Amino acid sequence: MSYREPLPPECPPDEAEEIKTTRDVFRLVRTNPPTEKDFRSQRAEKPNRDFGDVSECLARGLSVFAEKCAAARVKNGARLKDHLVCRVTLTSGAGKIQQTLRKDHHTWWPLKAFDILANCDVESP
Amino acid sequence: MKTIQHTSTLCYYDGPQVFEARDDIGGHYVAVMVEPENEQDRYLVKGVAPERLRQFRCGTLDLRSLLVEMGDQEWYLTVPESDLRQPLSLIPQNTPLRESEFLPDEGFVLHDYPTENRVLTEARRRNNLVLEITADPPEAAEEHRIRVDTFVGLLDHLQKTVKYAYRAALRDLPDSERDRINSTDAHLMDVVVPAAAGSFRVVLEAARMPDLFGNGELPRALQLIGELFENAANPQESSETLRKYRGHLAGSYVKFLNFLMQHKTGLRYSWAGPQFTKPNHSAILEPEVAPLVEALSKISDLSSESVTLVGDFVKVDRDAGGWGLNTEEGRKSGKVAEGGPSLNGLEVGKRYTFFCVEEIEEVTGTGKESCKLYLKKYEPE
Repeated sequence: MSYREPLPPECPPDEAEEIKTTRDVFRLVRTNPPTEKDFRSQRAEKPNRDFGDVSECLARGLSVFAEKCAAARVKNGARLKDHLVCRVTLTSGAGKIQQTLRKDHHTWWPLKAFDILANCDVESP
Repeated sequence: MKTIQHTSTLCYYDGPQVFEARDDIGGHYVAVMVEPENEQDRYLVKGVAPERLRQFRCGTLDLRSLLVEMGDQEWYLTVPESDLRQPLSLIPQNTPLRESEFLPDEGFVLHDYPTENRVLTEARRRNNLVLEITADPPEAAEEHRIRVDTFVGLLDHLQKTVKYAYRAALRDLPDSERDRINSTDAHLMDVVVPAAAGSFRVVLEAARMPDLFGNGELPRALQLIGELFENAANPQESSETLRKYRGHLAGSYVKFLNFLMQHKTGLRYSWAGPQFTKPNHSAILEPEVAPLVEALSKISDLSSESVTLVGDFVKVDRDAGGWGLNTEEGRKSGKVAEGGPSLNGLEVGKRYTFFCVEEIEEVTGTGKESCKLYLKKYEPE
């Protein structure tokens, strides 16, 4: 499997689930329609940054929520209040996903072959 | 220059969005990520009251309210020079906070909880099932502290709920499987770390060690309790689930919720066995407790449970409708239910199956439970 971004060894972890059935997740994006820039990991955005307690594997994944309401709540935060809630439909071959850090938060490691933008639908103004 | 130290991340989205921090003298702060400047992350930082921070953490207070209620002055920006493990220097700001573009919108309320994997490590280290519970009562806001009655009550309610969940789980097993299990004390847990660091955390393990393959009996009970907690945010669905477990389990669960409500705390717990690859997490947040208690209190007969007894008929009081049955678990006695069968045809010394309803009532003033059996139907063995 070839991931969208180079990943460290043993990443995604064994506990991460391979996406085999269709499901929706929610991510905050800057524009409608979204662009590739909305789906860059923290590591891609900040190549030289030390993320401290956040593992390199997590820093190379994308934060998503399983519930739209969770994304909408986080959007009210100062940094993200201008963002839009985007539904991303994950299908078989989308990569791996794992619930991480907090109950509502998931990390998604997309596969290179998965066309993210073709599966996006911005839901909020 | 004043500095603060990150203590825990409260909201994570492509990096910590909101975190709490302490200064050198123990003051509490909340930091919120704002627009970066020159591609450098920046956080708005404000000193907050510990109790209000607890309420924010528990989901009962909105982030904007938390930030502005301590006044418009004395707020800061910080630009982490490296990662958040290093001390963060605070840059005082002059604009009143309410006029700042950095203030978050209304409606940012925490509605989830951290899901850490330390219980998995602990289960492997102890080679046993480990359960970790976390409560956030008001007295735990400022330091690692909990009232004695809250602590004792928490453990007591938990152990009772596990006991009845285990009994309910066994009921669904085939007779042969039930006979195979020595279930006398399989529901018991021991406290092994009474006050772990963090919010008020307690670590327990199964009193009985697992078998050679790492399997124990407690997961049956904990899975069932997880089912009860799963829809805590949805009282309607929760009511439907609880109807399936009328009787002791439903009664102890409702009492547990009442206890949490009285002590103004939610409850989070994680559990794992030594062979697990990931832990199980469940929680009820403080704002979810009261609506759930209200919804569950409307269900009638929640505390009655169907019970089947097999044994020798030993006592009869035909006028009062009283009966006694010698079962494998000892002598059981009760009365005939309203509209139930006559005892006239029963013979003392013969073996019968009694189909009863057990009513669980709380003895006024003591809080203890009294159980009464009412015979609905019987069959000779």
